[in-house]
Amino acid sequence: MATVEVVLPRREGIVRPALGRNIALALLIALLLFLTAYPMAMLLYGSLHTTPPGEAGTFNLDGYRAMLSRTNAIVLANTIGLSLIKTGLAMSLAIFLAWVIARTDTPGRDTLETLITLPFYIPPILTAMAWGMLAAPKGGLINLGWSALTGSREPLVNIYSYGGVVWHMMQYSTPFLFLLIVGAFRSMDPALEESSRMSGASGWTTFRRVTLGLMLPVTTSAFLLSFIRGVESFESALIFGTPAGIEVITTEIYHLIHHSNRPDYPQATALALGIMVLMFALVAWQWRLLGGRSFFTVTGKGYMPRVTRLGRWRWMTFAICVLFFVITVVLPVGQLVIGSFFKFFGFYKVSMLTTEHYQSVWQSRLIWRAFGNTLLLGLGGATATMMLGALIAYVLVRTRLRVRRTLEILAWLPWMMPGMVLGIGFLWAYAFMPGPIQLYGTLWALLVAYVALGTPLAVRTMSGAFSQLAFDLEECSRVHGAPWWTTFRRILLALAWPAFAVGWILIFFIILRELSASILLYSVGNEVLSVVVMRLWTEGKAGPVSVIALVMLGLVFLFRFAERRLVRTHLST
Amino acid sequence: MLTRRSMLRLASLAPPALTRRADAQTAGDAEWKKVIEAAKKEGKVSMYTGAVGSPAFPKIAAAFEAKYSVRLDVLEVRASELRERVRTEQTSGKVIGDVSHNGSTSTGLQLADGTFQPHGPLPNLKRPVAPFAADDMRVPIYVIPYGILVNTDLVKPADEPKSWKDLLHARWKGKILADDMRALGGGAVFFMVTYQKLGREFHDKLAEQQPHMNRELRGNYPRVARGEYSAYVPYTVPDILDLKGLPVKAIVPTEGCPYVRFDGAIYKNAPHPNAARLLVDFFLGDEVQLIYGNLGFVTVIGGLEAKIAPEARAFTQVKLLGTTDFKLQEEMLKTAKQIYK
Repeated sequence: MATVEVVLPRREGIVRPALGRNIALALLIALLLFLTAYPMAMLLYGSLHTTPPGEAGTFNLDGYRAMLSRTNAIVLANTIGLSLIKTGLAMSLAIFLAWVIARTDTPGRDTLETLITLPFYIPPILTAMAWGMLAAPKGGLINLGWSALTGSREPLVNIYSYGGVVWHMMQYSTPFLFLLIVGAFRSMDPALEESSRMSGASGWTTFRRVTLGLMLPVTTSAFLLSFIRGVESFESALIFGTPAGIEVITTEIYHLIHHSNRPDYPQATALALGIMVLMFALVAWQWRLLGGRSFFTVTGKGYMPRVTRLGRWRWMTFAICVLFFVITVVLPVGQLVIGSFFKFFGFYKVSMLTTEHYQSVWQSRLIWRAFGNTLLLGLGGATATMMLGALIAYVLVRTRLRVRRTLEILAWLPWMMPGMVLGIGFLWAYAFMPGPIQLYGTLWALLVAYVALGTPLAVRTMSGAFSQLAFDLEECSRVHGAPWWTTFRRILLALAWPAFAVGWILIFFIILRELSASILLYSVGNEVLSVVVMRLWTEGKAGPVSVIALVMLGLVFLFRFAERRLVRTHLST
Repeated sequence: MLTRRSMLRLASLAPPALTRRADAQTAGDAEWKKVIEAAKKEGKVSMYTGAVGSPAFPKIAAAFEAKYSVRLDVLEVRASELRERVRTEQTSGKVIGDVSHNGSTSTGLQLADGTFQPHGPLPNLKRPVAPFAADDMRVPIYVIPYGILVNTDLVKPADEPKSWKDLLHARWKGKILADDMRALGGGAVFFMVTYQKLGREFHDKLAEQQPHMNRELRGNYPRVARGEYSAYVPYTVPDILDLKGLPVKAIVPTEGCPYVRFDGAIYKNAPHPNAARLLVDFFLGDEVQLIYGNLGFVTVIGGLEAKIAPEARAFTQVKLLGTTDFKLQEEMLKTAKQIYK
């Protein structure tokens, strides 16, 4: 049986000690401290102080004492249970879909790959609206159909339930995990799997022990990212859980901040920081799991990933991919398309046909301004975040510097904090920032917050990719006289380009959808699309919101198309 | 009793008194002109509002700019987020907002925190009519009345609720959609007012009807229109003007509508203090009052009825039941959580 776990030789990595390196590292740490630790420090202050920053008060542990209640223990169990089930199901589905797309001869894989990722880009509030109409126990289209078919008065599905919350969360997790995993399936030298088969292992054993084994850094990172995101998920729980009495940590924090006369910041921030500690325990587990092992799958040798010939079964895998697309995209997006042409969302009468929603979006100066700001922030933010993430990932994966653990912890911080609490941390941090540079009230405040929010994902994406690249490629370049930056750019980034591109797109769309920090940091003239969508939504204007969502989906197609063209024509590994 | 002598005495006194008033008026006008000039030099004013997505704002901004050539920037943020943002600005000294446009509960809380500065003399200050009045810090702007929305396909005219208490009839069990009464917003306003006016028993019985509560606000209207639920409370009565063509009807119960008043006030250390005063005064002018009146909201000054669009006029004159008291809010939220578990 093939073994793929190689104990790394003791080495100091590729980077040699130098003054320039130390300065660069110091700058990197300082930047990360400002981006992530500074807002966290403000939140820590908020959790330990009787009043928020700027007001007289005393330090105590009341927030933490209040956090340790039976109710919160139940809420925590609910949260972890929901996220575990959601991540487990989504992970299994994502691995299967990634394998189908990357390693089988299923027909139409290129198109299917783009289609499978689409649900990730649809604003959750819209799919919630669509699924509310489809699967509400009273009047939901699925239940009406079921009742008409069977005469049953009992609903077939109920979106306002534990299962409903899991289902809605899965629609984002599955394409998110798929995007993170599919590249790793492609970047795999088939020789390793062939060795396993030649040593007598079955196909299933080879898949489980070799294929999945080699992908451990990517899959565990993706699992962790998705699980933590599940713990911090808000919209699904608020819309489908709260009406059914299902509370999770984020809805509890939401109640503490928004449903009291005076927001209970000590308890809300203590709860968020408590969750962060728990999440760190998980990350530490991942470090322990991966520590001291190598997962090189990309070496100096040329190769093509092995494609499994499925025979007649390839139509079955094709059907499963199409079914996933139909359920997660066609049903909700179909409602958006239809709804965008009717005066009232969900009322499809000929007399109500209209193009007024398109006209209102087209003629709105606010929407265009927000669109311009968002594109600027998305393009600049995603590029800056991925570059920063790649640099941090390099230090984490390609060196043995002692400081790398500190860097990794700093880089993880924003991912472990629920968005609505982190948004307050950013607000406090930027408003109370000493010195001549003023971020609060400017577009820069949004950019800096977005970079901080995207950094964990960028680091995870690039770490996974870099850990699959053998050292000989880098050494070869350096031996031939290329300076570090050229090697980094021409060898490492070029080879990890698919992961870089996927990370870039994910972060771009995370920026497009980000609301928690945006709502607290935007100012007049600096509006972003998520804030405008929230305004329209609050006003009950589902039609224009659908139009904006469709424009965003158009952008997805455009970006995915451009990325694939670029990868194919110039930079494919 | 008026005598000829007393009348003559009064006549001899009148000219100086009238002159003094006229002089004061002239001095006031001159002072106000200075405020207008200073506001024009400031060039803009930033208004922070908790009324997210209101169609009134573009119209108010356009009217204000047309009248005074001063730009009005409107920042729309949910009330709870707005409070923290304003608090942070005030305590950090990085004040961007000039004028608050918010519900009376949030405004009251911020007033208690010392967030506002006196607005000073304003030409329109005396225009609000009872029960509305301005004080040194706040001016009333408009009122949102809350009623009941029913689906006309599901609810026969004879079964329509006439009173809030009609919702306690067995036919409504499991058929009521409600804005969450345990959270700040319209639901909390409805709870506090009806709790005080109709008693706890009303809510104990309403809880037995198992209302489905959420915070989807206007997103709930289509759910009632589609027939998922038969009724929605508390419904923003003027919103019915936007739902023409749907099988829904707004009902104003006989007891009247719980309401929330929106207030204007000037933030401490406002960077554009003159433009801020101008805007706060503008809130009480005919232009803004007609904008809200034509959208169906209750106006706070009198004498506009004839100028308000006929379709909206009735809504601006609905019977009002009562409003919230920010000092009781916390207690009421706790009570709501006990009743609606």
